Amino acid sequence: MPQTSASDAIVLQGIRKSFGDFVAVHDISLTVPRGTIYGFLGPNGAGKTTTIRMMMSIFYPDAGSISILGEPNSERIKDRLGYLPEEKGLYKNMTAVDLITYFGRLKGLAKKDARARAVALMTKYGLGEWITTKCKALSKGMGQKVQILATLIHNPELVILDEPFSGLDPVNVETVREAILTLKREGKTVVFSTHVMEQAEQICDAVVLINRGRVLIDGRISDVRHSGGRTVHLDYEGDGTVLRALAGVERVNDAGKHAEFVLKEGTDADDLLKQIVGRVRVRSFDTREASLHEIFVRAVGQDSATRGVTNA
Amino acid sequence: MRKPLLVAQREIVESMKTKGFWIGILLFPVIIVLSIGAPVLLARAKSVRTYAVVDSSSWLADAVQRQSGIADTRRILLETANRQLTGGNVASLPPVLARIAPHVGAFTPSQLDSAARTLATGDAAPAAALPDSARNPVLDAREEYRAWWDTATASTIRGVHQAPARGKYRRVNATGDLNKRVADEELFAYFVIGRDPVADNRGMAYVAKNLADDALRNWYSEIATDVVRQRRLTQEGISPRTAAWLSDEVRFTERTVSASGEQTAVGLKDKLRQNAPVVFVYLLWISIFSITQGLLTSTIEEKSTRISEVLLSSVSPVQLMAGKILGVAGTGLTMIVTWVLTATIAVKYMPKLMGAPASLDLTPIMSDPALLASFVIYFLLGYMLYAAILIGIGSVVNTIQEAQALMMPVMMMLMLPLLAMIPIGQDPNGTFAKVMSYIPPFTPFVMMNRAAGPPALWEYVVTTFLLVAAIAGTLWASAKIFRIGILMTGKPPKVREIWQWVRTPTGVVPGRQE
Repeated sequence: MPQTSASDAIVLQGIRKSFGDFVAVHDISLTVPRGTIYGFLGPNGAGKTTTIRMMMSIFYPDAGSISILGEPNSERIKDRLGYLPEEKGLYKNMTAVDLITYFGRLKGLAKKDARARAVALMTKYGLGEWITTKCKALSKGMGQKVQILATLIHNPELVILDEPFSGLDPVNVETVREAILTLKREGKTVVFSTHVMEQAEQICDAVVLINRGRVLIDGRISDVRHSGGRTVHLDYEGDGTVLRALAGVERVNDAGKHAEFVLKEGTDADDLLKQIVGRVRVRSFDTREASLHEIFVRAVGQDSATRGVTNA
Repeated sequence: MRKPLLVAQREIVESMKTKGFWIGILLFPVIIVLSIGAPVLLARAKSVRTYAVVDSSSWLADAVQRQSGIADTRRILLETANRQLTGGNVASLPPVLARIAPHVGAFTPSQLDSAARTLATGDAAPAAALPDSARNPVLDAREEYRAWWDTATASTIRGVHQAPARGKYRRVNATGDLNKRVADEELFAYFVIGRDPVADNRGMAYVAKNLADDALRNWYSEIATDVVRQRRLTQEGISPRTAAWLSDEVRFTERTVSASGEQTAVGLKDKLRQNAPVVFVYLLWISIFSITQGLLTSTIEEKSTRISEVLLSSVSPVQLMAGKILGVAGTGLTMIVTWVLTATIAVKYMPKLMGAPASLDLTPIMSDPALLASFVIYFLLGYMLYAAILIGIGSVVNTIQEAQALMMPVMMMLMLPLLAMIPIGQDPNGTFAKVMSYIPPFTPFVMMNRAAGPPALWEYVVTTFLLVAAIAGTLWASAKIFRIGILMTGKPPKVREIWQWVRTPTGVVPGRQE
């Protein structure tokens, strides 16, 4: 059971939420320390968004308690939070600067301050040319940037981003990643959800894995990685289908150019290498800590196996 | 309270930037101006109908023409008197009328008759009934009047007044092939008069190509009837006075009682007062209907553009809902106030500007404080109730089409007070009216409808209490639906599911402050 502490940005204890007969969140407890980047991971429908909405007091839990920045009802401190939901939209007929200003005012800024900050932020993030462009004329990436700026305009202490990378091209992914890292450098806490493990692996300090409304794994990235044991990593070129039917392999996560092998008890990495050589062109081959992807695939698989019958 | 106001402010500012708003604001005055101006213009533009008469009796057609001249002259004298008495534009009348206007203004109805007879026929005898000071001026005016009458064009006559037949119909000689002339539309119609119209209708006919417009036939037959009746009376030796007395109807003078129980005469003002509630019910209905529709559209739009959750990061669902209800009301009220002002001004000044008589004086209705106050209160309460329902519906659907199914029962609920308007207006304190008053969705309309009654004070208190309670309950339920519905995507939920949302508690709300 996590302990509440002034240094924690978010503390959830045993929260539960259902909609009619559907239980979206069974029992989730977790702690997000201040000043960290925290990843919310899990497959679609795991309960990530419902949990985040409860943190934002858009929903209230049926049971359990929530503390955000030391406050049990985040509605009172909404002005200190920034939230970018997964479903993002803009008022199509408002100009970008008016929209960001409006959100700043909703967060308690005075009209003049909000506008000045909106202009400054847009310039800083390379949107200077589009200040008076109507939102409907912005490209998807620019629209997403405008939304993120609307989330950050009031300089929030805690920023919650629901799937901030979805639908972005690599350049914009980089911009968003840079924004998140900047927030951390400024001492802010950032929580973001994703189902792309590589993104989490690269920038998170700590992660939580949620499946079917329950916490499967949580902790600092290094601890989580360490708990997963060691796996064999292969970079290759050629037809990957041959990698699926190798002896002594428990499971393979094949991404096309990179494959990760979980070996059966008693199998050696050498045995594996012997089978591979000559069938695909090997670029690199080594044994190291399991990837987050492997750890989570394993955890979700076990969870489904134990609960699948009753919860399907 | 600051956040809902910000939401409302944005709603108003943004909707004022839309084309739809300005079309709504500007189109209505155009419609009003057209609907008042068009009939006047149309009447003016209507070409003069020409007709011919084939008169086998050899006297009726001339008698009708003479009679029609007298009636027209009487109408023109009446207009002269009106302008003289109400300070209208006397100078724009033909000089002969302007000169006798001061005398005409003082005439009684029967003196108007006599003066019209004298002027139209040149016969000095009827003028004997006129006051001494007026007799000679009228007699002196005969020749000039006849000269004006014989040469005036139809549009000159219409410039004085719309009503005289001389401005609308022109008799031409019955020469040539009349049927062909009608077919060629050179003649509008022709009349055939039988040998002895006093005896019976044998041989009477009206031949026209256009059978839809029967104003000419009605007018001609009315005057002909008058003339023939006169002849029949003379033939039977019945004096005109006896005839008038025989055909006189039994009439009851309308009187009413005031609040203190005194009997008073009924004026136009009282009649308007009785009908005023109906006008207000319509206005109330249209306002509530159109504004709540706006709320539905705006909610669906916000939901379908996925902006709702972004908003919910800054405001609570209840604040968002309150802001929207306020904002849409602000927009709608701006539009409706503009409409009402335009309509009032147009009804008051338009006819005068166009030279037609003012049709309706709305001042007594518009300035009754009790009616106005109850209108404002019932508008606010009625709007709140229907806004709560529609914002709930708007939050669970994704498109207007999806909303339609859920709107059906609401529409039926809204239609009922309109259908009941006449029966309730006729019996404002009857059982039906009373029962309807206590059903909150109907209360604003029905109580407004009953204002002429008026209902007892305690009825106002009890029904308003019920209405306010219903609003509170609906807002509460709607907030619960809104909270979940506004974030849902995909297929709209079933009514049973929505009911479940309402029943289940919102969750553990720690020290909630909204």
